[in-house]
Amino acid sequence: MTSTIEVTNLSKHFGKVNAVNDVSFTVAENKIYGLLGRNGAGKTTLMQLLTGQEFASSGTISLFGQAPVENAKVLQNTCFIKESQRYPEDFRPKDVFKTAPWFFANWDQEFADRLIADFRLPLDRRIKKLSRGQLSSIGVIVGLASRAPLTFFDEPYLGLDAVARQIFYDRLLEDYANHPRTVILSTHLIDEVSNLLEHVLVIDDGKLLINEDAETLRNRATNVVGMKTAVEAFTGNREVLHRDGIGGLSSVTVAGLSESERRDAHAAGLELSPVSLQQLIIQLTRTETKEFEASA
Amino acid sequence: MTTTTALAQPASPLKRITNVAKLHFANPWTTLGLPWIILGVIFVGMLTVWWLIYSAIDESARESALEGTQFSGSSFFIYIYMMVVAIQAISITFPFALGYGVTRRDYYLGSALAFVALAVIYTAGLTIISVAETMTGGWGMGVTIFAPVYFGAGIAERVFVQFVLFLFFLFFGSAIAAVWVRWKATGVTMFFIVIAALLVGLIALATFTDSWGAIGTTFVTLGVAGVAAWSLVLTAISGVAGFTLLRRATPRNAA
Repeated sequence: MTSTIEVTNLSKHFGKVNAVNDVSFTVAENKIYGLLGRNGAGKTTLMQLLTGQEFASSGTISLFGQAPVENAKVLQNTCFIKESQRYPEDFRPKDVFKTAPWFFANWDQEFADRLIADFRLPLDRRIKKLSRGQLSSIGVIVGLASRAPLTFFDEPYLGLDAVARQIFYDRLLEDYANHPRTVILSTHLIDEVSNLLEHVLVIDDGKLLINEDAETLRNRATNVVGMKTAVEAFTGNREVLHRDGIGGLSSVTVAGLSESERRDAHAAGLELSPVSLQQLIIQLTRTETKEFEASA
Repeated sequence: MTTTTALAQPASPLKRITNVAKLHFANPWTTLGLPWIILGVIFVGMLTVWWLIYSAIDESARESALEGTQFSGSSFFIYIYMMVVAIQAISITFPFALGYGVTRRDYYLGSALAFVALAVIYTAGLTIISVAETMTGGWGMGVTIFAPVYFGAGIAERVFVQFVLFLFFLFFGSAIAAVWVRWKATGVTMFFIVIAALLVGLIALATFTDSWGAIGTTFVTLGVAGVAAWSLVLTAISGVAGFTLLRRATPRNAA
């Protein structure tokens, strides 16, 4: 499989702050990636580095086989929609949609028009008079209709309501199915996008913690719920990611179970349920932070 | 049908640059609309004032009063405003264009092209108005608003001087904008401190070396067009400085 992005030992320091710290990964062509992490974890800086907006302190980046910085050949295949994307103040949304096709070779006007209707975006109102959600929908529309082979969405939906966010997810999946491309989506709303993501990158404190296939990641842990004694007997020496309990009931999150282990659990009267991606990431980042601290 | 999104055919460098230039005119209100409206308001205001003076004073005093209008500064506004236009245009469209995958180089060259186009448009407009002013005998009252003496005598000289002045203010503005994009308010403050220090330094130099007389003579010898031509050096410095600064700039949202 071809990689769209290859990053090797990438670091970016701002004074003493390591915004991105020795990160290496590859991004496969035509997949949807989730770039997850807490505020200030380095997600935006990483995306700015990938799109040549920020300059690396050390390490290398390759997009479509070439360094992205000031490389028009590479960059014209990218579209980067930021959380608080600024638009020229006197622009109206229709000016944005008039200019965007000049820069994106694959721009689909019909698709853009459909999205404009979906999001009920007023075209003639000045940018400065738009609500936060309407501003975000401009970015989402440009990001989708541009059909850039490599599209970055950095928290694209500030102020968008649940309906609008669902429209975004639906349209992204639909259009992606017809026009596969590489999408990197950074977000806090992990559970909402969980079914969308094919691969997950989790970054914390500038370091890459998780780089895994979403399916594998989802199977990585299971919730085991039941009577405290039965749960304890079942978990034994297993690695427990998370433990919870009320009275005689207990709930633990354990690392992936085999088929026979699942049968044993059912036989013991325990209930098994999948762990949501969000829960899993919270738990994994917690543990790995602990491990990291212990080894430091 | 499933088709893998193909990589875009590389657009030609010229196409990429003209696209950026067009971006500055996508909504022509700031770059082309507002300046002419303000200029129009000033024009009407000036005419009214002069009409009042014209009617109030008797014939003998008129001539000397109107002679004063040769030094009218009302059209100076447009140059300063063009500097503001350049600052606004760059500080706002830079982060926007980079999100569209434009390189800094193409962005700067495209903006420079747009600024040259603006200089041409405004020079043409002001020239037409100044010709009209001359032909109507100063709007029927012998008033000078758009053809003051310091833009030179003939039309050719006036066109040259105005064009070169527009270029200077637009590119000086783009240098200020580049400083702003890179270092925000702190940078711009430092920039003006440095410019002020340079000016004071030059004045001191001229004073201590007793060369004011020589400078005066030089200016007179150069004439209006000559002095304007020398401003091209400053314009070029501003252009190179703006380009160099912007090439290492990162778009940030925080003011």
